[in-house]
Amino acid sequence: MTSVAAAVAEQHLPKEYQSDLKPIWCPGCGDFGVLSAIYRALAAIGRPPHEIAFVSGIGCSSRIPGYTTAYGFNTVHGRALPIAQGIKLANPSLLVLVAGGDGDGFSIGGGHVAHAIRRNADLTYLVMDNQIYGLTKGQLSPTSPRGLKTVTSSFGSLEAPVNPLLYVLGYGAGFVAQGTPADMVGLEQIIREAIRFPGFAFVNVQSPCVTFGEPDAQLKVHKLKMQSLSKLGHNPADRLRAMDLAQAYGTELYTGIFYRTPEPSPTYEELVHARHEELRGAARPRERILDQFRPE
Amino acid sequence: MRSGTVTPHAVANCLAIVRRGPEKNPSASPLLNDLAMRTDLIIGMAGSGGDGVVSAGESLITAAALEGYHAIMTKSFGSQIRGGESSCRLRISNREVLNSGGTLDVAIALNWEDFLKFGAELPVNGHTVVIYDSKTGVAPDRIPLAGVSPAEVVAVPVGDIAKQTAGTDRAKNTVVLGLLAGWFGIARDSILAGIRKKFGKKTPEVLAANERAFTAGIAHAAANPLRTEWKMAPAVAGERPLLVDGNELCAAAAIFAGCDFFGGYPITPSTEIMQFLSREIWKYGGTVLQAEDEIAGIGAVVGASFAGKKALTATSGPGMSLKTEMLGLASIAELPLVCVNVQRGGPSTGLPTKSEQADLLQAVFSAHGDVVRPVLAPISVADTFGITVEAFNIAEQYQTPVIVLSDQEIAQRKETVRPIDTSAFRIVERRRPTAAELEHYTRFRITESGISPISQPGEPGGNYLASGIEHNEHGAPTASGEMHARMTEKRLKKFHPLKQRRDLFVIEGPADAPIALVGWGSVAGVAREALRLAQADGLRVKLLIPKLLYPVAEEIYADFFASVQAGLIVEQSYQGQLHHIIRMFVDVPAGIESFARAGSNPIVADEVLTRAREMTLALQRRRVPQTEPRE
Repeated sequence: MTSVAAAVAEQHLPKEYQSDLKPIWCPGCGDFGVLSAIYRALAAIGRPPHEIAFVSGIGCSSRIPGYTTAYGFNTVHGRALPIAQGIKLANPSLLVLVAGGDGDGFSIGGGHVAHAIRRNADLTYLVMDNQIYGLTKGQLSPTSPRGLKTVTSSFGSLEAPVNPLLYVLGYGAGFVAQGTPADMVGLEQIIREAIRFPGFAFVNVQSPCVTFGEPDAQLKVHKLKMQSLSKLGHNPADRLRAMDLAQAYGTELYTGIFYRTPEPSPTYEELVHARHEELRGAARPRERILDQFRPE
Repeated sequence: MRSGTVTPHAVANCLAIVRRGPEKNPSASPLLNDLAMRTDLIIGMAGSGGDGVVSAGESLITAAALEGYHAIMTKSFGSQIRGGESSCRLRISNREVLNSGGTLDVAIALNWEDFLKFGAELPVNGHTVVIYDSKTGVAPDRIPLAGVSPAEVVAVPVGDIAKQTAGTDRAKNTVVLGLLAGWFGIARDSILAGIRKKFGKKTPEVLAANERAFTAGIAHAAANPLRTEWKMAPAVAGERPLLVDGNELCAAAAIFAGCDFFGGYPITPSTEIMQFLSREIWKYGGTVLQAEDEIAGIGAVVGASFAGKKALTATSGPGMSLKTEMLGLASIAELPLVCVNVQRGGPSTGLPTKSEQADLLQAVFSAHGDVVRPVLAPISVADTFGITVEAFNIAEQYQTPVIVLSDQEIAQRKETVRPIDTSAFRIVERRRPTAAELEHYTRFRITESGISPISQPGEPGGNYLASGIEHNEHGAPTASGEMHARMTEKRLKKFHPLKQRRDLFVIEGPADAPIALVGWGSVAGVAREALRLAQADGLRVKLLIPKLLYPVAEEIYADFFASVQAGLIVEQSYQGQLHHIIRMFVDVPAGIESFARAGSNPIVADEVLTRAREMTLALQRRRVPQTEPRE
């Protein structure tokens, strides 16, 4: 077989990553577009499904792993990141993806995001941000705009929203991007870039909730509002400018890569590997582990 | 009055709690009155943080171990970060030591106020020899407190001797070692060897100073003989034991069992498990993740287990509360993991440095949902090894989280342990799918045993969705009540064989004995000693020690209780939590009582023995009317 033929034979099709399960989402949900972009990005990356672990929390978007043919783990609310780090540390050769909603990532699980970032765990974290709790039928979310009336904020929310982009930029994430299913080509490209980034990569996907979301947060509006960062001439190596642009979260809809560090730090898994190399051969056999307790 | 000031109440606690049985009377034999040899000795020391009493205790137990004695050392601290009061107690014996014992034979107070803060942890009575630093400011005539006069009270200028010989107050603990070696003949050569080893690493001046301090302690003892002179009988040299605490053995057992991942968050008194693994596990290609919180710690463990590794987390009560949601996830996703809870006084911060057995109800009922999680408890330092290995085995075999309930006493108590033959332990691995099973892989296949093959990411053909949501045999989410019932049954029935594990119960004493003792965890050692004392007294008593606390093995308890008319369930919690659990599942004889006490108030064998005697008498009295009609 020639090398060209081998390359063709190894090509993967998006449908290889599509499982038999039928999504439970409402017709028109933004997550359909995200899922489709994920299939395409994974096909382009080309890792076979069994080498992928896809971890999620709880929420509409967290159903995604089950709709892929990868090893999936639909875990508990807010804790997908720690579980994903355990998987990646246990088997660094896996491609580990994490998906969740804004409640998962910036409310109940908000404390874990900072630590995944500071470890530079080699994960791709996709947050489907719809500014509402859709699965439980329309409660306030951490990214809901101030004043939003929901079933749990009957007279309007009193809190300012979390800004997911500034949040992760502030903690030092090496890759920060935003996309919307209103721009499928762009979204797929962002996800692909995020997966290829060596280290913690964050993608905020503005994924509208058709049932409980605000009228001005739907795909039609996205199509009108979205502005490509690359077309605006943004240099993704410029972290301060990225933070400046990220401040417009909630008013402007920028898509593309806000920040990609020009000098990625070593990933957590690389450092672990180096530690293992350094200590190789230092262990006594496991069955002799007790020898060290002999008094001298 | 500032907090921590000695109150009369504290003094009374300290002096009056424990009675002593006759078996330890050094003057039992008149022939040995002049120079009695003791075979079992309890020493308690207390001082301020900088006094080095714990360090002295460590030197002493190392020396004792090297000489061939059996020994236990417990440490106890106030909760101050530095300074404050610290204490240790050592039990040194020519026989196996089952617990850290009751009243002190020798009490050493480098500072009286600090000593008295430990109350019932360092009890003194009429046979105790009390040695105190004369600088401590307590006049000798004030020492007989709360009506208890120790056998002898000796003031020693410990600080002055240290300054004169070593040039520093810091050698006080070395002087104390000299006094103990001099007066009681304890391990003199080995202590000196230990001093040479320890201080040999520092400058020659420091070593020489400590040698002088030690020698001066011995000389002071020689120049000031005690009134009641006795010596520790020489040890019977045997195979050199291990000297280790429960946390270290737990961590070592994890490595032996093949654990390659630890995720956790530091919490007293479990942290030494993580500390040991952070030194060792990397060498085996494993990883320690100090997580951002308790939840992330066990979360990473769940992830590592999903990816095929044996994984461990360790915590104490408050951390356990945080971890329980993840335990639910591991139960429904059928992922093996081991979660150690080193119990401390609670609830909340409670008594973080002291032992209690008050998390049993929490462990058993940590489940939300309709599920069983095995709960194991080691009964001694040595047993922590086997129980931890067994916890991994059960976790792997049944694809379940397993809780190990250790306690501060076992976890942080240093003890001589007979060398453990690791080849005697089996190691179980999870049931992996065969090549044929991977052709049409069904992760949660409902099998006869309830156990289904488990694949891991990276394995071609094994792809499946693990989930916290109810799922069918293939892992697909479902809301079907019928499927939920079938899966619940699968997840519960797999534990049935566990209830037949008689090897996880210690049963001693005559099978037809009418009096029963039941104990678990660290208090099992007290119950065991009480049994020995009772048998020596001719009482008909038997003993049950469960190491498997949940699921409750009804048959094993029922068999045990068949002959029983009265008895005690001995445990270190106010409520008597094991008593409650057993009664939930087993028809317990009406004469079974709870013998339970809140944490940090030691239970000693003598008081259990006393109650067993009373029960025996009551049974004998009850029998009299029964026989009357026949006469």
